[in-house]
Amino acid sequence: MDDNWGYVAAGYGLTAGVVAAYVVWLRVRIRRAERSLRDEADG
Amino acid sequence: MTGKLLGVASGVSLAVLAVLALVVVPPDAVQGDAQRLMYVHVPTAWLAYLAFFVTAVASVLWLWPRTRAPHWDLLAGSSAEVGVVFTGLTLALGSLWGRPIWGTWWEWDARLTTTLVLFFLYVGYLALRRTGATADERGKRCAIAALIAFADVPVVHFSVTWWETLHQDATVFNPDLDVRMEGFWMPFTLVFSVLAFTLLYATLVRTRLRLAELDEGREERELQRAIEERRRAEVVPA
Amino acid sequence: MTLLRESALVMGKDLRIELRSRVALQQILPFGGVVLVLFAFALDPDRGLLSRVAPGLFWAAVLLAALLAVTRSFAVEDANRARDGLRLSGIDPGAVFLGKAAAIAVELLVLEAALGAGVVVLYDVEPRGVLLLACAALAATAGLAATGTVYGVLSSGLRARDTLVPLLVLPAVTPVMLGATRAFEAALDGVPGDGWPWVQLLVVFSALAVAAGVAVFGPLLEES
Repeated sequence: MDDNWGYVAAGYGLTAGVVAAYVVWLRVRIRRAERSLRDEADG
Repeated sequence: MTGKLLGVASGVSLAVLAVLALVVVPPDAVQGDAQRLMYVHVPTAWLAYLAFFVTAVASVLWLWPRTRAPHWDLLAGSSAEVGVVFTGLTLALGSLWGRPIWGTWWEWDARLTTTLVLFFLYVGYLALRRTGATADERGKRCAIAALIAFADVPVVHFSVTWWETLHQDATVFNPDLDVRMEGFWMPFTLVFSVLAFTLLYATLVRTRLRLAELDEGREERELQRAIEERRRAEVVPA
Repeated sequence: MTLLRESALVMGKDLRIELRSRVALQQILPFGGVVLVLFAFALDPDRGLLSRVAPGLFWAAVLLAALLAVTRSFAVEDANRARDGLRLSGIDPGAVFLGKAAAIAVELLVLEAALGAGVVVLYDVEPRGVLLLACAALAATAGLAATGTVYGVLSSGLRARDTLVPLLVLPAVTPVMLGATRAFEAALDGVPGDGWPWVQLLVVFSALAVAAGVAVFGPLLEES
């Protein structure tokens, strides 16, 4: 059997990367939405 | 509080899964280490289907007059977005597995093809959600679109299966995706991976739902303000 | 009975508009022809490849042209708030759906006849198994028109409607593209027995699409 660790690393890396990126993106958008709500309340 | 707990639980279980799948589980007798990709590929596929199922159920609940609430529409949209992310991931992981095992990145296999069509169907659904209609109008259109997409999937699967069996003899690769699970750690890790990703799904949908509610509130407020400004502008000159 | 009569009314209205405005005739039909020529450029015509893949190219061209027909069919309703008129006319929404879908189907059948002639001439295809070809074309057209009409009303009046329709329709009609192409291949290869099951699939798909359209057109036509 060939050494397929390269594909495995790519797969797990990709999964971790996509999940992390999605979580960060959600967080950023939530924070932005919350800030704009707060700004509205102040103004 | 539940949100924090859920997030921590899914993070921890994913870390445990990584250790199980990459270190504890022995390499497969036939597929070698590439088989380790199954412990992410199978649960992401499961998660994608679960997400679209939730979208369909939420859409029905929105359409049913007795259970209609704006919440269901937002849940349907949130779940679909998570579903699209994980369908894309499933396809990519399948390719990464297929390359060493089948010798090709892509095979026009019934399951793969259906999943690809599914991906585009729900990308379209997400696009439909962003076309700026009122919440009610959007809810109605999107709920119907989600149900049509959901009903379309079996028909697509059926036709693609039929198409594939027609020229199966032309397939040089063994298209057998079913993995034989031996010993204790292999099945255990697979079941664990499904549980871990289900937790992740709950966390992500919860977060996405919070964002959807915030956005909805902001849009409503902006609309309200616009109406008020218009009213003031009409009153002053008179 | 009134359902059919009302459908015929709506279909007549749409077809009359197309006959008078000539958009379908002068834009959609030539577009289909250009697509056929484009495929010949893409697949070197010298190698006999074109005649072998002609069924797929034919249906791809029909599909692309069908998208234009659907967009056009609902652009007509958006102008001058014709949609409100249609809604207030008291015509059953199911009949509106059937009428609009039938009008699109008629346009597509004309288009298919013209493109079919184009395929025979340009791609060096010898027509065989005409009965199977005709049945497959009819069933596929019904499915295309019905699905297109459902997604047409689903995205009508929204911004980015014109770009949304192709994205929604194309994945949904995967079974039509597959079924119609396989049936045509079987007919042209002289093995019609392989083609009839696909016609059955097309009929089932069309029936489902029509049923879905009749069911959802009412709520979708309201308000907005």
